[in-house]
Amino acid sequence: MINKNAAKSAAQCRHYAMCKIDFLETGLCPSGPRKHYVSYYPQGRMDIYHALSENLIPVTEALVDIADTCTLCGICDKQCHFVTGMRPVKVMEALKEYVENYLDRKNTVFIPKEDSFLKRLRKITGHEWATNDPAILVTYANDPFPLAGMQMPRYVVLPGTRDEVAAIICLTNELEIPFITRGNGGSVFGFVFTEGIVLDMNRMKKIKIDPDNWCAYVEPGVTSFELQQEAYKCGFRVNTAEPAATVCGNIVCTGTFSTWANVYGTSADNFIDMEFVDRHGKVFRFNDKNAPNVFAFEHKVLPSPGTCTEGVLKLHPMTHDEEGIFIPFSEFDKAVDFARELSQRRIGLALAVLGSHYISTFMSPSEHLADRIKEIFPEVLGINYLVFAVADTYDRDAIKKMAGAVIDSRLMKMIMLGLPRLDDEELIEIMRNSEGNNPPYELLCRTEILPLLEVVLRPSPETIAGAVDDDLRDFYVRLYSRPEMMDVVWLNMFRIVSSRMSRRKHMIAFLVYVPLDKIDVINHINAEFRNIADVHNLDNDFGFLTPMDLGKRAILEYDYYIDHTDEIEKQKIFEAMDEIEPWLDGLAAKTKGVTWLKYVFSQGCSRKENFLYR
Amino acid sequence: MENILRISKPKLKKRRREKSGQIFLTGGTGFLGCHLAVELLRKGYKVCVLVRSNKHASAEVRLKKLLDWFDLPDRLYRKIRIIEGDISRTNLGIEPGVWADLLKNTDEIVHCASNTSFSEMKKAEVEAINIKGLANILSFSRASQAYCFHHVSTAYVAGKSPGLCPEKLVVNDTFNNTYEKTKCQGEHMAWEICKAEGLRLTIYRPSIVYGHSRTGRSLIFNALYYPVRMALYLRNLYENDILEMGGKKAETMGVQIETDGSIHLPLRIEVHKQGGINLIPVDYFIDAFIALMEEALDGGIFHIVNQKSKKIEDIIEYSSRLFRMTGIRACQAEDFNSVSKNALELLFDHYLVTYNPYMRDTRIFEMAKCGAILRKRGITCPDFDYDIFVRCMNFAMKVNWGSRLFTSGS
Repeated sequence: MINKNAAKSAAQCRHYAMCKIDFLETGLCPSGPRKHYVSYYPQGRMDIYHALSENLIPVTEALVDIADTCTLCGICDKQCHFVTGMRPVKVMEALKEYVENYLDRKNTVFIPKEDSFLKRLRKITGHEWATNDPAILVTYANDPFPLAGMQMPRYVVLPGTRDEVAAIICLTNELEIPFITRGNGGSVFGFVFTEGIVLDMNRMKKIKIDPDNWCAYVEPGVTSFELQQEAYKCGFRVNTAEPAATVCGNIVCTGTFSTWANVYGTSADNFIDMEFVDRHGKVFRFNDKNAPNVFAFEHKVLPSPGTCTEGVLKLHPMTHDEEGIFIPFSEFDKAVDFARELSQRRIGLALAVLGSHYISTFMSPSEHLADRIKEIFPEVLGINYLVFAVADTYDRDAIKKMAGAVIDSRLMKMIMLGLPRLDDEELIEIMRNSEGNNPPYELLCRTEILPLLEVVLRPSPETIAGAVDDDLRDFYVRLYSRPEMMDVVWLNMFRIVSSRMSRRKHMIAFLVYVPLDKIDVINHINAEFRNIADVHNLDNDFGFLTPMDLGKRAILEYDYYIDHTDEIEKQKIFEAMDEIEPWLDGLAAKTKGVTWLKYVFSQGCSRKENFLYR
Repeated sequence: MENILRISKPKLKKRRREKSGQIFLTGGTGFLGCHLAVELLRKGYKVCVLVRSNKHASAEVRLKKLLDWFDLPDRLYRKIRIIEGDISRTNLGIEPGVWADLLKNTDEIVHCASNTSFSEMKKAEVEAINIKGLANILSFSRASQAYCFHHVSTAYVAGKSPGLCPEKLVVNDTFNNTYEKTKCQGEHMAWEICKAEGLRLTIYRPSIVYGHSRTGRSLIFNALYYPVRMALYLRNLYENDILEMGGKKAETMGVQIETDGSIHLPLRIEVHKQGGINLIPVDYFIDAFIALMEEALDGGIFHIVNQKSKKIEDIIEYSSRLFRMTGIRACQAEDFNSVSKNALELLFDHYLVTYNPYMRDTRIFEMAKCGAILRKRGITCPDFDYDIFVRCMNFAMKVNWGSRLFTSGS
């Protein structure tokens, strides 16, 4: 018997793969790192339960094992709640119960036959690392992206070495079976599906730090979080993507962009060398004289250069005095102007203009609180946008001189730990009715106000933990007692709160490179995204904007939010896309500096100059 | 070219006596506007109110809620005509059929709609209502059959002018804020149009209006109320800190519970040696408005003010007494040179900066014309004493400073 509530929760999995990295120091789902298939992680179990509820798969040998290996330890509840607010343990319980009942009733367990192709795959990788079990296949068949339908692969294979990758690719060529490679990080764009073979690189997780050459050798199954952890231990930083995204896959796909793109750039700026297996099974490195020219950029959708088997990533130095600093603004144009000026003057490292939606969502441990803060920041404090920078002492001094009112790390910590008390009816009313001549945030940013703010907010792990479910409070108190949870530099390097953007609904991010000196173009892009979304009644909001290349260009994110399980919402996004594509292509054709990230996908290794200055 | 007046005085007298004319009132959901609408209805006038709908409620629902607060009898409620519209829009955002009807059947216009914010951050909104909105209303008055225009302005059109402020148009270009400036410009705009179109113009200039002097009831809790509310908030905040959290932070700030249970808040408020704040209760304003409207048929400009301004020290004393606070004291600017401002004082400053010009007012607002009419009707402005303060603050707390205004019994 399917538990309807659990099935509904299962369908809501965002596929951000945060349950595959130990970002809260809770440890990982025990079966995942042992078995490597995504099916053995909470994300996979969610998909499997959803598939069962939809009668898409039978109870298979692997499914029984997957259910059986779940210990109901509760780690996934903590991890998933932190990101999405969901509680997957209910789904895990329902899955186990379903399988137990199924077995109790002496029903048949489906055991897929091993065909000749699978046999050859297993010969390459070992028996355990290739499968055609439907319960495993289904966890590689779908993601929340509404514009791509479900595609069941015939096989999933987990190579352990570059040579195995090459051998598998040769085999697929020989038998003319299509394949797709996935690093096995988050999957939200509907790109990594095939009716043939999925190569999951999750077993290839080696990281080697070479401090003398300022680089890290990374295999394709390594996630951003894992690489950053290793680099951080050695006193370095890497420009990485979202924590669960695989490093190599993300570079190949998007070029990897973040707020650090301000100083570290994107695409070819990120690596020293990369190793690929091409579509004929031949290995090449970018530094080979005869390697294909991956650094060029063509303004069209192209396939990737092959399957990445190693990336040699740049390591960047850190100084002991880096801290986060936030500069509040009521107006977008002024915030953009300020961020541009910082970039032009080479002030700050990571840099971005953030909207109130991002700020509130990042800071709040619950959806309810995020919704409230999203209103309170603009309406009560006058903060519609924040320019965020990671900066050393000298740069922070410069920023303070330039901006006047800033939220420094001490104040930000206070606000973060006291956030639930900002949502106080009386305080809000008093602030809302304040008739000052300057925005309330100017008062908030004064050092002399801090003692009063401490009494108002009572900042503490206990205060912020008050925003979550009772049974999770002790965990959150412990979590927020960890210094890194209040360290904006750490949070921005490891990006563990950025996946909260999909907490309320699945997020569809539109990313556009823009000319930063043309605010009218930027405003037009924001306005048009907003208009299209509003016409189709889709939730939408400005995401962020990060200056690049000394403030000449920037990357802009605008986000749409949909319930990916709702057919009406899917239809709306279909219709919206019909308008977005021609408009954005037209704009890019006539406006220098505008490039939609869609065309960078799979050309992520190219030189950024080739797409920023077309 | 100056036109002759649209209505003769005898005819106007007759219409007023018969209460046969329709009064078109703007700002009907505002503090003064709704009080006026109710009073005009009670006096038997036919009132037509322009009301904006918002995302939470229709125009009708918004106004009905307010009129219920006044306990307006059904028979009077039925007499009111609610027009959905928005003064910031062309043709006041009124539906064309209704617009045509209003042009034909409006006899007098009472323009109360105003943005009263002193904050320069709200400059655009203030200008949108006080200038653009007024221009739209004046266009309406020009196109309509109306013969009287009643313009609710402010005594503070005087701007930074010192000394005696006469009951006539102000020629001035120094103001404390955009509100004053736009209200002054508005008077000139109304004057020009009414003169050109033959409308009888009456300009009413109240000072700062608080709640009802006898009941304490009010609909807004800014101006006078806000600093009191803030002091009370801080009082309670630190009391809780002491009782629940051990009071270390209170101690650092110099806040403590006195032996008699009162709270000591170290809060200095900057005042001037002379001057004070000019406060009038809403009941006085309404009585004065009706008297002026009914008596001053030729129109004119009238200050509706308190001839005795209130010293800030008195309000501090009232607040301290009522809310059991010590430590709040009035200071001169130079007192802050030796000890810089603490967090509480900075918080107060942030708000009071826009009210500063009104807290140290030494001007005399001439009341010769207004005073003569009010005396005739026996209308006097009560002194803002402790009893009135208590009534007003008790009501404010009863309705949680406005958030429980429309629950039963408030």
